[in-house]
Amino acid sequence: MSLLMIIAIFLGISSLAGIYRLIIGPSLTDRVIGLDLLFAIAVIYCLIAAWVSERTVYLDVAIGIALTGFVATLAWSNFIQLQSRQQTGSSS
Amino acid sequence: MMIMSGLFLIASIVIMLIAAMGILRLPNALARQHAATKAATLSVSLFIVGLLLQAMNAGWGWEWLVRLGALLLILLITLPLAAHALGRSAVIEKTTKKEKSL
Repeated sequence: MSLLMIIAIFLGISSLAGIYRLIIGPSLTDRVIGLDLLFAIAVIYCLIAAWVSERTVYLDVAIGIALTGFVATLAWSNFIQLQSRQQTGSSS
Repeated sequence: MMIMSGLFLIASIVIMLIAAMGILRLPNALARQHAATKAATLSVSLFIVGLLLQAMNAGWGWEWLVRLGALLLILLITLPLAAHALGRSAVIEKTTKKEKSL
Protein backbone atom coordinates (compact mmCIF):
# COMPACT_ATOMS: atom_id res chain seq x y z
CA MET A 1 0.00 0.00 0.00
CA SER A 2 2.73 2.45 0.88
CA LEU A 3 4.62 1.45 -2.29
CA LEU A 4 1.50 2.32 -4.30
CA MET A 5 1.29 5.68 -2.50
CA ILE A 6 4.92 6.45 -3.44
CA ILE A 7 4.24 5.38 -7.04
CA ALA A 8 1.16 7.63 -7.22
CA ILE A 9 3.14 10.61 -5.89
CA PHE A 10 5.95 10.12 -8.43
CA LEU A 11 3.36 9.71 -11.20
CA GLY A 12 1.89 13.07 -10.19
CA ILE A 13 5.36 14.63 -10.37
CA SER A 14 5.98 13.22 -13.83
CA SER A 15 2.53 14.31 -15.03
CA LEU A 16 3.61 17.90 -14.29
CA ALA A 17 6.12 17.54 -17.14
CA GLY A 18 3.34 16.49 -19.51
CA ILE A 19 1.13 19.39 -18.40
CA TYR A 20 4.06 21.83 -18.87
CA ARG A 21 4.68 20.51 -22.39
CA LEU A 22 0.94 20.60 -23.13
CA ILE A 23 0.55 24.26 -22.11
CA ILE A 24 3.76 25.85 -23.41
CA GLY A 25 4.99 23.62 -26.21
CA PRO A 26 6.84 25.60 -28.88
CA SER A 27 5.09 23.70 -31.67
CA LEU A 28 1.80 21.88 -32.10
CA THR A 29 3.50 18.48 -32.08
CA ASP A 30 4.91 19.14 -28.59
CA ARG A 31 1.40 19.60 -27.25
CA VAL A 32 0.31 16.27 -28.74
CA ILE A 33 3.40 14.62 -27.19
CA GLY A 34 2.45 15.99 -23.76
CA LEU A 35 -1.08 14.66 -24.26
CA ASP A 36 0.33 11.22 -25.13
CA LEU A 37 2.36 11.13 -21.89
CA LEU A 38 -0.71 12.18 -19.89
CA PHE A 39 -2.72 9.31 -21.45
CA ALA A 40 0.00 6.81 -20.42
CA ILE A 41 -0.04 8.18 -16.86
CA ALA A 42 -3.86 7.91 -16.82
CA VAL A 43 -3.60 4.22 -17.80
CA ILE A 44 -1.21 3.60 -14.88
CA TYR A 45 -3.60 5.42 -12.51
CA CYS A 46 -6.43 3.12 -13.68
CA LEU A 47 -4.24 0.07 -13.00
CA ILE A 48 -3.52 1.39 -9.48
CA ALA A 49 -7.27 1.85 -8.91
CA ALA A 50 -7.88 -1.74 -10.07
CA TRP A 51 -5.17 -2.99 -7.71
CA VAL A 52 -6.47 -1.14 -4.65
CA SER A 53 -10.17 -1.92 -5.16
CA GLU A 54 -9.51 -5.46 -6.52
CA ARG A 55 -12.13 -5.03 -9.27
CA THR A 56 -11.66 -5.77 -12.97
CA VAL A 57 -13.91 -2.90 -14.08
CA TYR A 58 -11.01 -0.45 -13.92
CA LEU A 59 -9.02 -2.65 -16.30
CA ASP A 60 -11.75 -2.14 -18.94
CA VAL A 61 -11.48 1.59 -18.28
CA ALA A 62 -7.71 1.34 -18.81
CA ILE A 63 -8.20 -0.46 -22.16
CA GLY A 64 -10.64 2.28 -23.23
CA ILE A 65 -8.24 5.04 -22.23
CA ALA A 66 -5.38 3.38 -24.15
CA LEU A 67 -7.50 3.08 -27.33
CA THR A 68 -8.77 6.67 -26.99
CA GLY A 69 -5.24 7.97 -26.57
CA PHE A 70 -4.07 6.11 -29.67
CA VAL A 71 -6.92 7.44 -31.82
CA ALA A 72 -6.44 10.98 -30.44
CA THR A 73 -2.72 10.90 -31.25
CA LEU A 74 -3.36 9.69 -34.81
CA ALA A 75 -6.09 12.28 -35.38
CA TRP A 76 -4.06 15.24 -34.07
CA SER A 77 -0.93 14.26 -36.01
CA ASN A 78 -2.97 13.87 -39.22
CA PHE A 79 -4.49 17.31 -38.55
CA ILE A 80 -1.02 18.86 -38.11
CA GLN A 81 0.23 17.24 -41.35
CA LEU A 82 -2.81 18.46 -43.32
CA GLN A 83 -2.47 21.99 -41.92
CA SER A 84 1.25 22.18 -42.72
CA ARG A 85 0.73 20.94 -46.29
CA GLN A 86 -2.12 23.41 -46.78
CA GLN A 87 0.08 26.28 -45.60
CA THR A 88 2.92 25.37 -47.98
CA GLY A 89 0.48 24.84 -50.84
CA SER A 90 -1.13 28.24 -50.33
CA SER A 91 2.17 30.11 -49.82
CA SER A 92 4.00 28.55 -52.81
CA MET B 1 6.84 -13.27 -6.15
CA MET B 2 6.04 -10.11 -4.21
CA ILE B 3 9.67 -8.99 -4.37
CA MET B 4 9.72 -9.45 -8.16
CA SER B 5 6.46 -7.52 -8.44
CA GLY B 6 7.93 -4.68 -6.39
CA LEU B 7 11.05 -4.64 -8.56
CA PHE B 8 8.92 -4.35 -11.70
CA LEU B 9 6.91 -1.50 -10.15
CA ILE B 10 10.06 0.39 -9.09
CA ALA B 11 11.56 -0.04 -12.59
CA SER B 12 8.27 1.21 -14.06
CA ILE B 13 8.20 4.40 -12.02
CA VAL B 14 11.92 5.09 -12.59
CA ILE B 15 11.41 4.79 -16.37
CA MET B 16 8.36 7.06 -16.19
CA LEU B 17 10.45 9.70 -14.37
CA ILE B 18 13.14 9.36 -17.06
CA ALA B 19 10.44 9.88 -19.72
CA ALA B 20 9.19 13.01 -17.94
CA MET B 21 12.74 14.38 -17.71
CA GLY B 22 13.27 13.62 -21.40
CA ILE B 23 10.08 15.49 -22.29
CA LEU B 24 11.29 18.48 -20.28
CA ARG B 25 14.94 18.56 -21.36
CA LEU B 26 15.28 17.24 -24.93
CA PRO B 27 15.92 19.91 -27.58
CA ASN B 28 13.30 19.48 -30.35
CA ALA B 29 9.97 17.77 -31.02
CA LEU B 30 11.44 14.83 -32.95
CA ALA B 31 13.63 13.95 -29.95
CA ARG B 32 10.85 14.50 -27.41
CA GLN B 33 8.62 12.08 -29.33
CA HIS B 34 11.02 9.22 -28.53
CA ALA B 35 10.79 9.92 -24.79
CA ALA B 36 7.02 10.28 -24.85
CA THR B 37 6.10 7.17 -26.83
CA LYS B 38 8.72 4.49 -26.20
CA ALA B 39 9.70 5.14 -22.58
CA ALA B 40 6.11 5.74 -21.45
CA THR B 41 4.90 2.54 -23.16
CA LEU B 42 7.76 0.58 -21.56
CA SER B 43 6.77 1.99 -18.18
CA VAL B 44 3.11 0.98 -18.61
CA SER B 45 4.18 -2.50 -19.78
CA LEU B 46 6.41 -3.01 -16.73
CA PHE B 47 3.54 -1.90 -14.46
CA ILE B 48 1.23 -4.41 -16.20
CA VAL B 49 3.73 -7.22 -15.61
CA GLY B 50 4.04 -6.25 -11.93
CA LEU B 51 0.27 -6.21 -11.48
CA LEU B 52 0.03 -9.56 -13.29
CA LEU B 53 2.53 -11.12 -10.85
CA GLN B 54 0.54 -9.67 -7.95
CA ALA B 55 -2.74 -11.05 -9.34
CA MET B 56 -1.21 -14.51 -9.88
CA ASN B 57 0.18 -14.46 -6.34
CA ALA B 58 -3.11 -13.46 -4.74
CA GLY B 59 -5.13 -15.87 -6.91
CA TRP B 60 -7.53 -13.30 -8.34
CA GLY B 61 -8.76 -15.47 -11.22
CA TRP B 62 -8.37 -15.52 -14.98
CA GLU B 63 -10.23 -12.25 -15.71
CA TRP B 64 -7.14 -10.28 -14.64
CA LEU B 65 -4.93 -12.38 -16.94
CA VAL B 66 -7.20 -11.87 -19.97
CA ARG B 67 -7.70 -8.13 -19.48
CA LEU B 68 -4.06 -7.36 -18.66
CA GLY B 69 -2.92 -9.44 -21.66
CA ALA B 70 -5.32 -7.56 -23.94
CA LEU B 71 -4.08 -4.21 -22.59
CA LEU B 72 -0.43 -5.21 -23.11
CA LEU B 73 -1.21 -6.40 -26.66
CA ILE B 74 -3.05 -3.13 -27.48
CA LEU B 75 -0.15 -1.04 -26.14
CA LEU B 76 2.46 -2.99 -28.09
CA ILE B 77 0.40 -2.79 -31.31
CA THR B 78 -0.35 0.94 -31.08
CA LEU B 79 3.19 2.00 -30.04
CA PRO B 80 4.88 2.02 -33.49
CA LEU B 81 1.85 3.59 -35.21
CA ALA B 82 1.67 6.49 -32.74
CA ALA B 83 5.45 6.99 -32.76
CA HIS B 84 5.52 7.02 -36.57
CA ALA B 85 2.64 9.51 -36.81
CA LEU B 86 4.17 11.85 -34.22
CA GLY B 87 7.61 11.78 -35.83
CA ARG B 88 6.12 12.38 -39.28
CA SER B 89 4.09 15.36 -38.10
CA ALA B 90 7.12 16.77 -36.22
CA VAL B 91 9.32 16.60 -39.33
CA ILE B 92 6.64 18.01 -41.65
CA GLU B 93 5.81 20.88 -39.28
CA LYS B 94 9.51 21.76 -38.83
CA THR B 95 10.26 21.76 -42.58
CA THR B 96 7.19 23.85 -43.42
CA LYS B 97 8.11 26.40 -40.73
CA LYS B 98 11.62 26.65 -42.16
CA GLU B 99 10.32 27.17 -45.69
CA LYS B 100 7.88 29.81 -44.48
CA SER B 101 10.60 31.74 -42.64
CA LEU B 102 12.80 31.62 -45.73
